[in-house]
Amino acid sequence: MANIVEPSCVNYVCSCGYLNPITKLYFCRYCLKLRCGFCVCHEVDSHFCCNCLENIPSGEAKLKRNQCNKCFDCPSCQHTLSSRATTVQVPKKSDGDGSKSAATVDTKPRKMYYLTCLACRWTSRDVGIPDQVTATGQWPECEYSSATRFSMLMEHYQNVVQQEKQEKQDLWRRKAPKQHKYPNLTDRTGLTASMIRRQMGLSEKTAPKVKQSTISPSLSSDVVSELPQDIFSKEINLGNITTIKQRLSHPSVQPSTVNNLYPLNKNLSIKRSLRCRQCEHNIVKPEYNPLSVKYRIQLFASYHVPEVRLMKCGPLEAGVSTQILIKIINPTLHEMTITIMDLPTHEEESLIIEEMKKKSDKQSLGPLASLNSAFSRQASLNEEPKFVDQKVTGTIALPDSSFMLQQRDDSTEYDDDHQSSREEPKFVVWRRSNKVAVELTVNPLDCKSGDEVIVGFSMQYTYVNTATSSGTDKKEPQTHALTSRVYLRIGKIK
Amino acid sequence: MSDMSAKNKLKIYPKSVICDDESVLIGDVTISSGCLIHPHATIHAKSGPIIVGENCLIEEYVTIVHDTGTVDLDNSGPTLVIGSNNVFEVGCTVEAAAIGERNVFECKSYVSNLVTVSNNCVIGAGCQLVDEHHLPENTVIYGKRSEQRETIEKQKSLSMQLDHLRKLLPNYHHIKKPTFDPKKPREIA
Repeated sequence: MANIVEPSCVNYVCSCGYLNPITKLYFCRYCLKLRCGFCVCHEVDSHFCCNCLENIPSGEAKLKRNQCNKCFDCPSCQHTLSSRATTVQVPKKSDGDGSKSAATVDTKPRKMYYLTCLACRWTSRDVGIPDQVTATGQWPECEYSSATRFSMLMEHYQNVVQQEKQEKQDLWRRKAPKQHKYPNLTDRTGLTASMIRRQMGLSEKTAPKVKQSTISPSLSSDVVSELPQDIFSKEINLGNITTIKQRLSHPSVQPSTVNNLYPLNKNLSIKRSLRCRQCEHNIVKPEYNPLSVKYRIQLFASYHVPEVRLMKCGPLEAGVSTQILIKIINPTLHEMTITIMDLPTHEEESLIIEEMKKKSDKQSLGPLASLNSAFSRQASLNEEPKFVDQKVTGTIALPDSSFMLQQRDDSTEYDDDHQSSREEPKFVVWRRSNKVAVELTVNPLDCKSGDEVIVGFSMQYTYVNTATSSGTDKKEPQTHALTSRVYLRIGKIK
Repeated sequence: MSDMSAKNKLKIYPKSVICDDESVLIGDVTISSGCLIHPHATIHAKSGPIIVGENCLIEEYVTIVHDTGTVDLDNSGPTLVIGSNNVFEVGCTVEAAAIGERNVFECKSYVSNLVTVSNNCVIGAGCQLVDEHHLPENTVIYGKRSEQRETIEKQKSLSMQLDHLRKLLPNYHHIKKPTFDPKKPREIA
């Protein structure tokens, strides 16, 4: 939990060059690259209400302005409202005899419902909304003065959009005539389809022109109604005046006094899936059911990339080398060989970026990629790879050999004997199942007191890809040697 | 001897249920009939006597302190009268200078001794009232920033819950015996 909530001291370099903690990174196992939030397409999978957990199709959600019409938020404190039942005595329908006095009218109990906030005790009775007969009753919709104006504006702009679309389509059709494999009659005779239709006396096939609706633009006016006389002298009761938050949470009304606070429809939540921008494979896909918090595809980096944690750091002093202890954890089900290397120099880094740019260009030019991008809802824009915006202020003495890291095995926790039969390199301090602690020597470069020491290294690791790559028939897992760049913020100079 | 006298100062009216396990009642404390005190509650009459009104519900880890800044040595301090039908929920600390009727102090709330509470108020969960303040009737304190508003809703009646707890608690806890019988007045007092 700590490494999700708190700022992380270990950051990985995403393939685009941004630094991120491992918890915010994804791993595309088709490109075998780290991906951050900028390198993936975010797509809305489904809309749902987080209170009643009802799935709402996207078309319906649009119609309902992305709000649930059954659940409400408190207008006073933005908590979810709950409906509460009361029994009231309602007069029984008497058989036509209306002259009975009130005292003798038979009453029967009836359940009535009203909305209440359990946090601030706001109720729908506060603003005079009558109680409803059903629990999820048809609560009256709040009316606002500019509703008609807004619907007119919306209609107008929808027309404008449609018109522009049509014009663009027409232009495109004229610009790029269809190239058929075999020239048809119209091509040879020079007659267009519409000309033939006209000659034959048929009506024009083209869709009727969208009617241009006109709206009167808003006009500014110099006439402003006078302020009330007592505005500066009357004592105000702050309890009756809404806060900015209360006003802005209901933008169509923006009530200024608390007796105009009407329940707010709860906003819908979305489930989103993430897609790699380079290979267009899904990286994260949640289950469709709003009740489920599981994923169908979950390529989070922390399941595939060895995790580095800072365990201990000796006292940091300028010009004095010190020892740091890092823990490396193998989250995969295969053995890993890890080599710790220097960060690439500026020239090497620019080479990496060149290569990545070339690769992404090649991919976007390919026929398959263009077809895919035409079908996908979102135009795929690749994040430009760039240099890492982080200077190191210390060097690491590299360990002289690579080391093995066992696969993750949940049952080893219950084993009693931890035997290490293997000959360990000197820098390995301890090892338990899929974890290893490595001691490194850090030498802070010309630092003043109070400066933060940042060191970095490249970590090469073997990764066994169990995903069958599309196109090839190879079923057996392939082993790759991958490299991740890791930056550590180890602390401040004394 | 002072320990004995402090003990004698505790007046418990009949029909109240006070769990004896770990609950601490210090000083001149009067518990009216119908009150219900869970284990681990603390009531400390530091600067003067405390009188807890009828049908109050005091839950676990509640601390009620009567503290005006002075220590009452000669039984001359002002009396803190807590009205009837108040609810002190788990873990709240109440040092208020006056408490009316039908108030709810929600979990982990804190009310300092500069605050006076009238009737039918709610101090929301985790809210802290530190500065000098008077809560008018029907006030609700809620939220992270301890915002204040007025409610029209009346508090629900507690009688059902109290009746249930009165039956349940004696099955699992030692109950303090009533020390004061209004039918035989002036016997102890």
